[in-house]
Amino acid sequence: MNAMKNKVMKFVSWQWSLVMLLTLSSVLTACGSNNGGNNNRTNPIVTEKPAITQSNEQSDNKESAKAPSGKVVVYTAGPEGLAAKIKEGFEAKYGITVEQFDGTTGKVLGRLEAEKSNPIADVVIVASWPTAMSMKADGWVQGYAEVENADKLQAGWVDSDYHLFGYSASALGITYNTKLVTEVPTDWSDLTDAKWNGLVNIPDPSLSGSALDFISGYLNDKGDNNWTLFEELKANGVAMAGANKEALDPVITGAKSAVMAGVDYMAYSAKAKGEPVDIVYPESGTVINPRAAMIMKTSPNVENARLFIDYLLSDEAQALVTGAYLLPGRADIKAENRTNTEDIKLLNYDWNWMSEQGETISAQFLELFK
Amino acid sequence: MLLGLLLLTLLVVVPLLMVLLHSLFPDDTFDALAPLKVLSDPGLITIFWNSIALGGWVVLGSTLLALPMAFLSARTSIGRHAWLDVVLIIPFMTPPYIGSMGWILFMQRRGFAEQMFPAVAWITPHFFSLLGMVAIMSLHLFPFLYLILRNALMRIGGSLEEAGSVHGGNMFYLLRRVILPLLLGSYAMGALLVFVKTIAEFGTPATFGRQIGYYVLTSEIHRFTSSWPIDFGKATSLASILLGACLLFWYIQNVISQKYQYKTLGGKGMRTRLIPLHGWRSIFGWGYIGLLLLFSIGIPYFSIIVTSMQKLRGDGLAWSNLSLEHYVELLRPGSKGWQALINSMGLASIAATVAVLIGTFLVLQMGNLKRWSQRSLDMFSLLPNTVPGIVIVVGLILLWNAPWMPIPIYNTYAMVVLTYIVFFLPYSVQYVKASAGQIDHSLLQAGRVFGGQSFYIFRRIILPLLIPGILAGWMMTFTISARELVASLMVLPPSMQVTATYIFSQFEQGEVSLGMAMAVVSVGLTTLVLVVMNHLGADRK
Repeated sequence: MNAMKNKVMKFVSWQWSLVMLLTLSSVLTACGSNNGGNNNRTNPIVTEKPAITQSNEQSDNKESAKAPSGKVVVYTAGPEGLAAKIKEGFEAKYGITVEQFDGTTGKVLGRLEAEKSNPIADVVIVASWPTAMSMKADGWVQGYAEVENADKLQAGWVDSDYHLFGYSASALGITYNTKLVTEVPTDWSDLTDAKWNGLVNIPDPSLSGSALDFISGYLNDKGDNNWTLFEELKANGVAMAGANKEALDPVITGAKSAVMAGVDYMAYSAKAKGEPVDIVYPESGTVINPRAAMIMKTSPNVENARLFIDYLLSDEAQALVTGAYLLPGRADIKAENRTNTEDIKLLNYDWNWMSEQGETISAQFLELFK
Repeated sequence: MLLGLLLLTLLVVVPLLMVLLHSLFPDDTFDALAPLKVLSDPGLITIFWNSIALGGWVVLGSTLLALPMAFLSARTSIGRHAWLDVVLIIPFMTPPYIGSMGWILFMQRRGFAEQMFPAVAWITPHFFSLLGMVAIMSLHLFPFLYLILRNALMRIGGSLEEAGSVHGGNMFYLLRRVILPLLLGSYAMGALLVFVKTIAEFGTPATFGRQIGYYVLTSEIHRFTSSWPIDFGKATSLASILLGACLLFWYIQNVISQKYQYKTLGGKGMRTRLIPLHGWRSIFGWGYIGLLLLFSIGIPYFSIIVTSMQKLRGDGLAWSNLSLEHYVELLRPGSKGWQALINSMGLASIAATVAVLIGTFLVLQMGNLKRWSQRSLDMFSLLPNTVPGIVIVVGLILLWNAPWMPIPIYNTYAMVVLTYIVFFLPYSVQYVKASAGQIDHSLLQAGRVFGGQSFYIFRRIILPLLIPGILAGWMMTFTISARELVASLMVLPPSMQVTATYIFSQFEQGEVSLGMAMAVVSVGLTTLVLVVMNHLGADRK
């Protein structure tokens, strides 16, 4: 009886091995080719074709895998709506597929690090200028001197050898709930007052590049690594709360009253929607951080990456930038829906110092607030 | 047999070894104590204890919730209400990060609780503590323990107790000498699974834990692998420690359940005495069930649904503030949410189909579990259930993104499918194994006697009898894959979102309401699949 059962099992397992192998391989190749098809659209015409003919194109393309591919891989730190519009605009203009990873600055950097041995990104956009500088210093990115419109960028929003392009920027302020806050704070230090106890959020600098810039910019301005403000804030129950949106949302619903060092464009867009929030730029000054777009040194599609940078600095993309309540990167374009660059008072900070200290400061801040 | 072992080695064992190896080579030099050195960091040892303590508390919490419920359902007339079983699965099927988000929105300052009952304002701040976290996680995990305990109680059957009382035992004596020892084996298994699921859980620590400053191993591993500054060495060390802890508890559970394993199923018919509930007992029983459902389903889903319909988040609860605009946006073909939904459904069905095929194949190879190779097949295939998901993902990334890896599936859909398959293989194996275990050899002999060939016997006897298990396994894998967060966060290729990452990224940088609308839609859809498949004749769990 056992012998017979073994025989059955043997036969069965043989059958199954075959079935399994067949299905597994077909599924894997199906996924692979599906994806490969998306990757390998060599020309704009392919994208125009109906889906049915695409499968034929795919097999053709597979054979000529070495041909220049019609895509550009962009890793970008929010805001998601703007990123999506830029992607659409670029695809429509050049017929090049954009494969995009949306995240926060921390997530983008994390992904790059994880893929170090197999890099696939062409363009990287982070929301922190010092971080971009240290990426350049570490040799991650390459220059693009022939970029269009670079001369029209705000002073200092492009580096001398054209590696970093500040195509947009946000300023940091104090966003507060207008239903709950009657006495609007005028400076950062106001938030150390007892009446704000437990009512303030600050974004996590390991997830939010802009928050890190504020912290390091502030420390740079005060000099001597003066952490007094942050220690007092911690003592006053300021909570560290995820990335920018996670820090802001409780303020919108009223769970917290204010978020300090939150990005301003989120406040403006929430306000425009009708949410009960407003933003104030502190008297002693703040940090404006250009959001840097860079071409990776390992970029597999350099030509497309360059086109993408050109696009970011074009009138069309700059209009999308102001539409998202961000500061435009080009000095010749003004935003009408928010405070412009020249009207925001700045702290006295030096990007080089911030770039060198960034990692240490982030670690120290986490230790203090965790 | 060899193929099965090879497959499992590649899918499950090698990735885990990669994690161990990586943690032993922190700076490209061998250091056997490297993972332990990580623990000498006082910050990290706290995190380790945080995980363990949380696990312990949640086991206690879910026991307190599940035991009375199991008793009510196995031993009283309440058990006749079969719908309760379906409803009680809902909390377990709700993705934890969404459930805890629901609780946060309900309990926070000026949250829904305070808006409806201003008087509770004095108590809500206390919810944001370890107690709240344990409550949220227990309410999520208790159904698991409940099902196990209920089945065990039902198997014990009335006759053993009757035998006890015939011999003069009173109620407490019966409880102490008959019921509890018989329950212990099953309880050990359930408790261990709850424990492992708790310390492996990522969603609740990432949402609720971060708010109260309670950090655990999983949230730290995720931080080290996906935010600045990246530290794969530390991540793998923590992962190895997590792995070690889980395997240790697994071993302990094995010892306990082997010691307390009894044959409670005999050939004789079984009579289970159902205690009819009347009067105050009935009120008590139903009251308990009502409260349990209120806390485990009512409150979180109230928050989720209300949030998904809010026009302005700042305007709170008001009829005028409700609209379906977020659903319209979500279900507009071509929108990001719509694509995420399609992706999820597609990936989940491919993953479930392949996982079930592999699972069935493995079960058929396991045979009677007599030989070591068969037993190791069994062990390896269940390993992903014992190991925290985040550890497996780290291993899979290390393996499939290695520079020498010839198969370039990292950063493609196939990688996601593969990850889901590895994650949920244990479910298909368990369900199919349960079906296979019920097939009596005499059936095969009968087939043989009547002249059936091997293939004929397989096609006409074995396969049809396995179908319910296969269906149940498929259904389970599909449902869980469609809601999977950790793996999706870490291995999805750019330009691609699934429902879970869509929701997570809406919480992180977009519209909370839109995220909640997606939560409602995806939970609704997968529940629908469950109901339909159930109707089509899959086994009721």
